[in-house]
Amino acid sequence: MSGGLRGVAPPGQHRVVVTGAARGLGEAVAARLAADGASVALIDLSPDVTATAARIAAGSAEGSESGRVMGIVADVADEQACEAAIARAADALGGIDALVNNAGIGGPSTHVIKTSFADFWRVLQVNLGSAFLGSRAAARIMIGQGAGGAIVNLGSIFGQQGVAGGAGYCASKGAITLLTHTLALELAPHGIRVNTIAPGNMATEMHWEELRFRAAASGTTFDEQVSLIADGVPLGRHGTGADIAGAVTWLLSPDSAYVTGQTIGVNGGVWLS
Amino acid sequence: MYGSAKPSSLGNLGSLGGTASPGRMAGRRAIVTGGASGIGLATAQRLRAEGAGVVAIDRSPAEPSLDAGEPITNVRADVTSPAEVANAVGEAAQLLGGAADVLVNAAGIYQIRPLLELSPDDWDQTMAVNLRGPFLTGQLFASILIERGQPGSIVNVGSTAALIADPAEPAAHYNASKAGVLSLTRQMAVEWASHGIRVNAVCPGVIDTPMLRLMDDPAAGEAYLETGVPLRRLGTPGEVAATIVFLASQDASYLTGTAIVVDGGTTAI
Repeated sequence: MSGGLRGVAPPGQHRVVVTGAARGLGEAVAARLAADGASVALIDLSPDVTATAARIAAGSAEGSESGRVMGIVADVADEQACEAAIARAADALGGIDALVNNAGIGGPSTHVIKTSFADFWRVLQVNLGSAFLGSRAAARIMIGQGAGGAIVNLGSIFGQQGVAGGAGYCASKGAITLLTHTLALELAPHGIRVNTIAPGNMATEMHWEELRFRAAASGTTFDEQVSLIADGVPLGRHGTGADIAGAVTWLLSPDSAYVTGQTIGVNGGVWLS
Repeated sequence: MYGSAKPSSLGNLGSLGGTASPGRMAGRRAIVTGGASGIGLATAQRLRAEGAGVVAIDRSPAEPSLDAGEPITNVRADVTSPAEVANAVGEAAQLLGGAADVLVNAAGIYQIRPLLELSPDDWDQTMAVNLRGPFLTGQLFASILIERGQPGSIVNVGSTAALIADPAEPAAHYNASKAGVLSLTRQMAVEWASHGIRVNAVCPGVIDTPMLRLMDDPAAGEAYLETGVPLRRLGTPGEVAATIVFLASQDASYLTGTAIVVDGGTTAI
């Protein structure tokens, strides 16, 4: 891994919080940011986040320019817990320059008529509520620092189009787009940019769980379900954590200094066909 | 997994348009149409700063580099002419030491003209440069890569004018041409994805280039920036160039058929 900050900024100059970072896309994003020299606080409901942070720290310690990497166990969909976790990250890192709201759940793959309100509401609370709470807490800190900042929310291709059996997920991710718009307008005077990354079909455990469910429900194999999806993507494959990390890193960097309020699809062109 | 992509610099939050990541585009060969000035020139310089070989194709001579470096090598050509495009792309391959695998279509013209005063010739000329040009260069660029079995990336320069209408600067032909660029981008993306060619667009808002007309009346321009641009300033060519080079790079490995708006939040209002 090469540190992108060499000769540009001292290690740890960028202090980034990534939620839902114990595994999957969040872990990939945190690892890339750490490799680029940022200090990163990983937050997750799962205690595994501590080991993930340690693994990333060990990996980036190979270079001399890594910042601090730490794990925080917290439920970012809970108001008090989210506030406390963001505050703890700010204390430990010496401030917050950027936040990646990645925490999310898929929820039940059931049609609305068979879905309980509690299940539906839980998806909105986790996917949308955590983005609201995290953004609010981090924005207050960034405004206090007076040096601008950046927030990236994780939306989804399924926030841009519906899918049968995905009412809660689609509604939560669609709402992320307009939460992003609103935050962008409110925070622009403070130099804080807010954008959404909308991944397509990603090679993550969350997506594999969904495909296992579909395979069981349709009497097909898991591999057949994977091929079915990949064949429908113009680039011919599922997306990876590295694909998302590249886009998130760009949105947190000055390279995107004039980009705010946008939803950027990272989907291999799938929405086109 | 994470080491495969060359990281872009996070840089300083205070600097606009970021800092080139040396080596991210190393080994790449790039053609930038309209590379003699404005967004095209800034893009050519950014590509070079990140390690790519770069040739500009422009009907005008290259302007002096903004970055105090050597002038960008320029091949004179009119992008509306298939013969001139073919000659220029061939000459670029010779200068670059091989076929280009990055194409940036930045050549464009802008003319303010209310619809009732818009002549068929005005319409045709704008469509020719802004839409026929990217079609001609893109088709030739892709055909060469596909024949060789090589991957590549195209970035087309659209505009926020493709997304919104503007009574203050009436330019229906320009707006329609840029909307066409976005449609062309999507179709190129799906037709060439299986060949490993990604195609994306950027949609700049009000950018501080020679083509900008907003600040011709400084008072009105400043008033617009206060109310119409959440970040309350013009964008820089370097900021658009940074987005274009991101899209051309491996950092955007799973993006195709997209249009990224670089407008300080204007279209989010």
